[in-house]
Amino acid sequence: MSVVAAGSFLPIDSFNVVVLIAVFTLIALGLHFTFGLLNVVNLAHGEFLLIGAYTAFQVQETTGNVVLGILLAPVVAAIVAILMERGILRSLYDRPLDSLLATFGLAVIIRQTVQLIYSANPRSVHDAIGGSFALAGFNVPWWRLVVVIATVGLVALVSAILARTDFGLHARATVRNPALAETMGINVGVVRAALFALGSAIAGLAGALLAPINTLDPQFGLLFLVNSFLVVILGGQGSLRGLVVAAVVLGGSLSLLQFVISTVYAQIIVLVIAILGVRLRPVLAERIAAYRERRSSARGSGPGSAGKALTAEAPRHG
Amino acid sequence: MTAVLSVSGLHAGYGPSIVLRDVSFEVSPGEVACLMGRNGAGKTTLLRALMGVLPKTGRVQLDGRDITDWKGHRINTAGMVWVPQEDAVFPGLTVREHLFIAFGRRRGDAGLAAAAKLFPILGERLDQEAQTLSGGERKMLGIAQALIVHPKLVLMDEPTEGVAPLIVEQLVPAIRVLTESAAVLLVEQNVDTALALGSHAYVLEHGTIVESGDIRRLHADGVLERRLAL
Repeated sequence: MSVVAAGSFLPIDSFNVVVLIAVFTLIALGLHFTFGLLNVVNLAHGEFLLIGAYTAFQVQETTGNVVLGILLAPVVAAIVAILMERGILRSLYDRPLDSLLATFGLAVIIRQTVQLIYSANPRSVHDAIGGSFALAGFNVPWWRLVVVIATVGLVALVSAILARTDFGLHARATVRNPALAETMGINVGVVRAALFALGSAIAGLAGALLAPINTLDPQFGLLFLVNSFLVVILGGQGSLRGLVVAAVVLGGSLSLLQFVISTVYAQIIVLVIAILGVRLRPVLAERIAAYRERRSSARGSGPGSAGKALTAEAPRHG
Repeated sequence: MTAVLSVSGLHAGYGPSIVLRDVSFEVSPGEVACLMGRNGAGKTTLLRALMGVLPKTGRVQLDGRDITDWKGHRINTAGMVWVPQEDAVFPGLTVREHLFIAFGRRRGDAGLAAAAKLFPILGERLDQEAQTLSGGERKMLGIAQALIVHPKLVLMDEPTEGVAPLIVEQLVPAIRVLTESAAVLLVEQNVDTALALGSHAYVLEHGTIVESGDIRRLHADGVLERRLAL
């Protein structure tokens, strides 16, 4: 199979690689909140993409304005998420198997409800920006560029929210030690509900953004569920930086492999990469930590080293 | 004068296991009340129950308001803060972020300055992960977090336990600063530290208060030594 396009100076359609990395990032970004931070094995994650996609479709059908639909998608997903979190999940945070079962059941209910309303027939959401432009000898649809830009913007926004706002700080404290966070004045219940709603809103937006480049039917969310969990797990639960790296590894591998082998084989190899990555990540993390420790020791300014002499502790008793 | 903290008929424990039975006591404004007792007497359990971490029955009032059924965040916001015994830090969060949690980002600079004034070592370690601090520094951080929010009442769980004497010398004056503006319920096993800081003592045994009174009188009568098996 030839992988060089006529007139291209690149061996493959590089932008498609970027698009698939963006898609992997986008579908996993919402799960970063619900599973990565809140530790809910959220099997309904795909259904929030579904809700977002069908919201865009419904608004497009009703008003003809798909942009309005894309803007409303995260709002509708967030409302459903708040009802779900307050109604069922809020008492299941310390019961992972129960929350898994609950989200599985809710996913089936949402999917079947969508099918009852819209039937199983495939639907389509139009590009808000049609047409394409030439890049390195390839035709790039404008909408795919929008997906990439939106993904970069969302990652930056999520990163800023978690790192630079009181809410982000409270969220990080809550997920690390909810009991301590509560006694330090953080309303853990509200923070958890907000995190679940935010993650689901991002999933809804992702669904609306991806609907124009995929066939829309009630199984739409299932297309993305496995890959989004793979990205979050490979990246390390709760790590946004890890999520982006995992999306680059998995999305990049899949798109490159698809140029030389069939999609089925490519997906199998990507799964193997994910499994190997999860297996090797602790070893890599240990080596990186050891390397950093050696570097800081060499500089003589390791964490806490300056005060160790002052704060040597007596052995604990009792 | 209304007590800052008034506890009556408190029962609490872990699931079916009842640890505290019919505990009643008061802490007056400006008072440092020492809660003493042997290991396993229920001192930490009492603080956890007061902060809403454990379910309880009975009646707890803060400044005359019934807070028995309040959640921890509401109790904290109402002015009762807790300095736990150990490991009271969030992994991955820096010293600065811990102080921001207590004080909020918007007013954060004032809080950072107050903490650094109290414990200069914390000022030098603002961007260090709190988990990597030594035990003594973590206790300093806990006290600083309590101090900068100007609470009505501080529940302090063995702040000097397991800490080198050099650090205790820094912690005790800081606790004194805290007591200038807030009442303190101090869990302390070290009689010397309790005598240095406290005015009143409650002795807990098997989840029940068995002695209470002026701490110096209890010490002079040998009650503390007998009850604590010193």
